[in-house]
Amino acid sequence: MPKQGFQPFMESPLHHFKLDAEAQPRRADGRIWCNELPHLGYAVLRGDTAEAGFAQLVEQVTGLALPLKAGAVSQGPQGVLMWTSPDEWLLVSHRQRLADWTAQLDAGFAAQQLFAQTVDSSGGLTLAWLGGTQHITVLRHLGVYDFESIPLGHMVSTVLGKATVQVIRLDGDGVFVLFRRSFADYVWRLLRRAAQPYGFAVCQLEARSDHPLFAQLAAPQPLLVSA
Amino acid sequence: MLVITCPYCQEAREEEEFSYAGEAYIARPAVPEEADDATWGDYVFHRKNPRGWHWEQWQHVAGCRKVFAVKRHTVTYEIAGSWTLADGKALYLKEQA
Ligand SMILES: [Zn+2]
Repeated sequence: MPKQGFQPFMESPLHHFKLDAEAQPRRADGRIWCNELPHLGYAVLRGDTAEAGFAQLVEQVTGLALPLKAGAVSQGPQGVLMWTSPDEWLLVSHRQRLADWTAQLDAGFAAQQLFAQTVDSSGGLTLAWLGGTQHITVLRHLGVYDFESIPLGHMVSTVLGKATVQVIRLDGDGVFVLFRRSFADYVWRLLRRAAQPYGFAVCQLEARSDHPLFAQLAAPQPLLVSA
Repeated sequence: MLVITCPYCQEAREEEEFSYAGEAYIARPAVPEEADDATWGDYVFHRKNPRGWHWEQWQHVAGCRKVFAVKRHTVTYEIAGSWTLADGKALYLKEQA
């Protein structure tokens, strides 16, 4: 095989918008500020909370308590664990850490003979942050859910313009919108169009180490996929 | 537009988030080997289609993706309640008895 052979690399589903070139430091104005958090790691976790050892193993590996209440989100400096269904959760973290976690979880499930599994969906999802004083209003234009009623530290799975999204609300400053790679172009344009009357700007996202999701941007992105 | 309460998400949500999944509690022939064609035909194709209260299944496709039971009035569209399939079945059987 030649040296310059197949070299797979990661590309955000929104790469063609060249958001980096457009990004500016966030200002305290009335505009909608938005950007993508590219290349995070996502894994679906399935299991039965009634099975002894399942919740304990998840917490032991990830440091995140398994949320049992509908829509609850567990947060830590290494990522979040969200309730998506009574027997399904979504784990979001840095891509490399997530790969380590899923390997450890799968090994643990096998060792303890637990009827549980992890499914890595990192290539299939992406996350956008939407902030500014009017960010809830923008969501109201697009979906029927009462977005302002989402308690802090919770997420809701609903539809924005027919596309299924998860809206994650960790603080009052903004929301994270999680959507499929295959719908990314559509959802991004939708958010941008709905935000237009209020003014739309792409903001630089800081890799804040004290934040459960922004912290996952901190380490250098493994842009080249290792074989 | 219906407003349906998902027993798993424990919240009233708009119909847009759900997908209809047909009549609920259709009993499969107890002894499949002995069921004749008419019985199979009823099981596969025939539905109650009542004018009044109807037990049906809905799936929360945009939310938790679970299927559950809803008792809905086909004329007034009133919804009497929604339950997990197991909880609803107990009520359904009591009503049918
Ligand atoms: Zn639900």
